[in-house]
Amino acid sequence: MERVLRVDSIVSRFGAQVVHDGVSFAVARGEVVALIGGSGSGKSVLLKEIIGLVRPTAGSIELLGADVWRSSVQELNTLRRRFGVLFQDGALFSSLTVAENVAVPFRENTDVPMEIVAPLVGFKLALVGLPADASAKSPAQLSGGMRKRVALARALALEPEILFLDEPTTGLDPVSAREFDRLLRVLAESLGLTLFIVTHDLDMLLSVADRAIALSAGKVIADGPVSAVRSADDPWLREYFAARA
Amino acid sequence: MGDSSALTTRSAAPWIERKVEDKNDVLYLAGVWRLPNVAAIADALRNLGLQGQNQFIVDGSRLEALDTAAGFVLVRHLADIGCTPATVSARALDPRHRRLLALVHERMSTPPAAGRSAHLGFVQRIGAAALKLGRLLKSHNAFVGAVALEALGLARRPALFRPRETASQFEAVCIDAIPIVALVNFLIGVVIAYVLGVQALRYGANVFVADGIALAVCRELSPILASVLVAGRSGAAFTAQIGTMKVEEEIDAISTLGLSPIQVLVIPRLAALMIALPLLVFVGDVAGIAGGMAVGAWQLDIAPQVFLDRVHGVLEMRHFVIGLAKAPVFAAFIALIACRMGLLVARDARSLGENTTSTVVQCIVWVIVLDAAFAVTLQHLGI
Repeated sequence: MERVLRVDSIVSRFGAQVVHDGVSFAVARGEVVALIGGSGSGKSVLLKEIIGLVRPTAGSIELLGADVWRSSVQELNTLRRRFGVLFQDGALFSSLTVAENVAVPFRENTDVPMEIVAPLVGFKLALVGLPADASAKSPAQLSGGMRKRVALARALALEPEILFLDEPTTGLDPVSAREFDRLLRVLAESLGLTLFIVTHDLDMLLSVADRAIALSAGKVIADGPVSAVRSADDPWLREYFAARA
Repeated sequence: MGDSSALTTRSAAPWIERKVEDKNDVLYLAGVWRLPNVAAIADALRNLGLQGQNQFIVDGSRLEALDTAAGFVLVRHLADIGCTPATVSARALDPRHRRLLALVHERMSTPPAAGRSAHLGFVQRIGAAALKLGRLLKSHNAFVGAVALEALGLARRPALFRPRETASQFEAVCIDAIPIVALVNFLIGVVIAYVLGVQALRYGANVFVADGIALAVCRELSPILASVLVAGRSGAAFTAQIGTMKVEEEIDAISTLGLSPIQVLVIPRLAALMIALPLLVFVGDVAGIAGGMAVGAWQLDIAPQVFLDRVHGVLEMRHFVIGLAKAPVFAAFIALIACRMGLLVARDARSLGENTTSTVVQCIVWVIVLDAAFAVTLQHLGI
């Protein structure tokens, strides 16, 4: 299977604090991978390093065949059009309506004519399961679950090959969270998307991910199918999975 | 799906070809059916002039890539011309593409209408702004009442007053503002002295420049300039601080701890500003007269000693006191408006910016309006 992401011996240091001490793994196309770890284990920092927002102290990251931290700004921007990111709080643009939020990537990055963009935006919103009356609302009028869906529609706009999700179910009630899980699974299977999910939601891990990578004390302590990671012999992992009887 | 340059590919392939095989209408999809090409694909579909009554077979054997945007254009076109799942069948489609088209068909059955931001017409905007202003003034009024009640409560139980918070606000609004207030007033003193001096020199009335400077600076200019600077500096800061606290739900946290946000946040700022502004006006008085004195010494042949003697002789105490007495009134308006606008911030980024801007505008307008009211009233009273 083709490799879309390779993280190679990443070291991250902030002052005296070492966040990552040689983190390495690879992700193949079409995989649904969850990155787990306790609070402060550097999951979100690693995600930011992969998508080119925070520079690691040492090590290299290869995303879709390009070395993220040796690319020029232009190359990085071209690369960025090929993956989508769903931020923790949705990060919707508060001055734009829902439909305009989803239209931004089309308007800024493609020359698709407006008469095709408008129905496409409507379709993207329907794709993530939003009701018809949501498109004219402003993000402030939406519930947490709906904001996440709009953010997902925006992240999917340019047909990304990889979708990165940062704590996608945090702040959602269990019912909305499980609905969101199902949506991600359907999209991943139907669109052949590669999903890279940073999460500490155990239910999400079990119902969505094929593979789990566990970070602890700056290192990868387990990496493999969810069932294998679940039975791994590590005190933190045992406690983590024991939380669900 | 996997080719790395897919987003930039722009081949001139015949996206779709129609052939009749064994009395069946076969649509051969060909090339890279991806987002950058959807405009061309939509044109190609339209140019085919398909009729919905026919039976179609969609053949995917020549298809290189397919994404949801292109899939959506195809499915929507077929639906628009009246095709149904019964009249369209697929052949030689990659299983992934088949799943994708099935998902597109399932989800597009209820496409939401595309909404745009509402843009009001000219008259509507004026009406909306007037109503908004009316509501704002009304709520300002209620806020003044609430603050007055809290202040009364504080007078009964002085232990609730927060001296530390007040002192730290005082440092920010007064001590830190001294250099800028002094500089601006000094320069205004210089400018006025120049303008007056040029006229006065013609009549040999150089020394009267001192009268003009002292009166203008102490009674009008220093209070106004200090207030405008404080409105821009501290007013904006108050709104931004309290607004951010509102966004982060800190205000709710203060309330649930059984504290009053007005006592914790508003009264210390109000007290600090009401003490600070008269002091800043005094700094401005000194700096403005110093500016006039500097020009007098360099350009108008008035020795500093003479200038000061003249100021001492002609500047009546009442002008100086009126200038200082206006300051706490301006300060109260600035602090109340700034805190109020901070508390009115909604939970989004735009609102914080709008309210901060509005604070500065409202404060400056109110300072000028109040100053005009003072000028007219005092004139009539003969002070």
